[in-house]
Amino acid sequence: MTEPILSVRDLVVKFSLRGQILTAIREASLDLYPAETVAIVGESGSGKSVFTKTWIGMLDANGWADSGSILFEGRDIAKFTTEREWLTIRGKKIAMVFQDPMTALNPLRTVGMQIQEALELHQGMRGEQAKARTIEILAEVGIDMPDVRYHQYPHEFSGGMRQRVVIAIAVACNPRILICDEPTTALDVTIQAQILELIRSLQKKMGVTLVYITHDLGVVANVADRVAVMYAGEIIEYGTVEEIFYDPRHPYTWALLSSLPQLGIKGQPLYSIAGTPPNLFTDIPGDAFAPRNPKALKLDFVKRPPFFQVSPTHYAKTWLLDPRAPKVEPPETIKALRAKHDERYAL
Amino acid sequence: MLKYSIKRLLQSLVTVFIVITLVFLLMRLLPEEGYFGDGYDKLTPEQRENILRKFGLLDPWYIQLRNFYSSLLKGDLGKSIIYRPDVPVIDIIKLKIPFSAAFGLAAICVSLFFGLTMGIHMARNKGRFWDKVWSSYVVFINAVPAAVYLLFIQLYITGLKFRGRSIFPMLFNRHDPRSWILPLISMSLGGIAGYALWMRRYMVDQLNQDYIRLARAKGMSDKQIMVKHVMRNAFVPMAQYLPASVLLTISGSIYIESLYSIPGMGGLLVDVIQRQDNVMVQALVLIYSTLGIWGLFLGDILMAIFDPRIRLEKREGAR
Repeated sequence: MTEPILSVRDLVVKFSLRGQILTAIREASLDLYPAETVAIVGESGSGKSVFTKTWIGMLDANGWADSGSILFEGRDIAKFTTEREWLTIRGKKIAMVFQDPMTALNPLRTVGMQIQEALELHQGMRGEQAKARTIEILAEVGIDMPDVRYHQYPHEFSGGMRQRVVIAIAVACNPRILICDEPTTALDVTIQAQILELIRSLQKKMGVTLVYITHDLGVVANVADRVAVMYAGEIIEYGTVEEIFYDPRHPYTWALLSSLPQLGIKGQPLYSIAGTPPNLFTDIPGDAFAPRNPKALKLDFVKRPPFFQVSPTHYAKTWLLDPRAPKVEPPETIKALRAKHDERYAL
Repeated sequence: MLKYSIKRLLQSLVTVFIVITLVFLLMRLLPEEGYFGDGYDKLTPEQRENILRKFGLLDPWYIQLRNFYSSLLKGDLGKSIIYRPDVPVIDIIKLKIPFSAAFGLAAICVSLFFGLTMGIHMARNKGRFWDKVWSSYVVFINAVPAAVYLLFIQLYITGLKFRGRSIFPMLFNRHDPRSWILPLISMSLGGIAGYALWMRRYMVDQLNQDYIRLARAKGMSDKQIMVKHVMRNAFVPMAQYLPASVLLTISGSIYIESLYSIPGMGGLLVDVIQRQDNVMVQALVLIYSTLGIWGLFLGDILMAIFDPRIRLEKREGAR
């Protein structure tokens, strides 16, 4: 494989909350390769957003990268402290699209100006040239009558159109990595599909690396090349979409997939993961998912598993992959998935 | 925008008309003594009737109202009866308004400049040292009765001496620029605290908005975000009240003008009410309420210029 463009190693992110220390990201590692699409999935509070916000220095004021490294263009950006350092990356090299387009735009500035700001900042354009390019970008993201729309205000745009504008801002930044933090959650289903399609076509054109943060596994299957599964601030498994969906290895990934309504068996109650995610204020020994995993090994409660290789692209953090581990069968739903997959490939 | 302005203009005109009429009708309820001036006791009933007839007060109310409007349209607010007998109200206030307006406008400029600067500084240092310092100033100004600190300023600062001569004179003298300083400061203290408090509040509101997060993600520096996104948005809700406060500066400041003997409008209304100069009361109430309405009108127009959402004809929630 080619060189990664961003390489996160054992990142630890902590927050200070009411005098207590919360560890939001616990030694998460991830590599991003040029022009690929990676989806980070996990339940609410698993640290998906925080993890990616660390890459552009947008943690809340009470949070900091405690240890680990984020290598990007030969620099360890986890060590950045000043705003000036971050401004060399933020927006310029790594941009972000947020969840709610309804509130993401300044209601008192024209849409055109808000896109143009990014052009002026990152592409050194000025005046008429910047305006012309802004109108071009508006057209690129699929907005009709861009020269009229340029002068309009956000309240004159619908939700889906506003998300297009937000994407247009990201395009204007011309970044190497674009993080989409649940870009379609706030939109209705038909618009969702349009926005995903738009992002995909722009990616092709710009050759940007896309990172999707989502808990919608349907979206993941649609858009991603690779998937990273996050639990309690850790990446516990990553691999290609095929590998994660059809050959998952971590008990949490099993549980996550089993709880998909599409995979449920008619007449049986829908599977849901028992228990709650661990308390991030305390130190978590071993595998963070062990307390919720009925088939957890004794070792899972004591020692944190390292990454085991399943294939050159597929890694999982579970003791089950250790050669000495007892054989634990994945749940029926997962086995059925695997069988379906094998069947298809046998053909 | 034009449609909105015309609509608001018509609304304001109607309001002004209603207010003027109401003021006039209420004035008819005032005791009649107010029309006779000194020596009311010595007048015979016939003399009283003559005076009332001279004022047209014995006509039916609708005739009176018509006469009132027709003289109002000629710019005639009537003549003072007791305050300065037989002098037109306009001539009386013409001499007083410049002082009040000059002090008032200067105080607004000073308050805006220092208040907004302070508010911005507080918001940018929220929860830290300077926020607390300025907050304690705001709390002090709001909690301590103005009379207390204003009196202290006059007593102690005028007592400061430089080479044996006091720096600031105790009383106002229009030819001595030094005598303008203390009243101006006194008038601005409250305004500074008010503007600082609201600016801080609105800015903190803005800083928590999603679009500020997007602006940061876009790669704008904190400074650019402050100037291009936060400050303007934070100032909009305050712009609404600015024209009214500018127009109403002509009413002056009762306490400060009397402390420094400034011959302004402050206290004039209270004075003429106490002395039952009905015509003066009527004229002043009329002027102040009309200016108030026009101030609100201009404020709304200013808001609409800043905030494009307001120009919408449809009512979208309360804003």
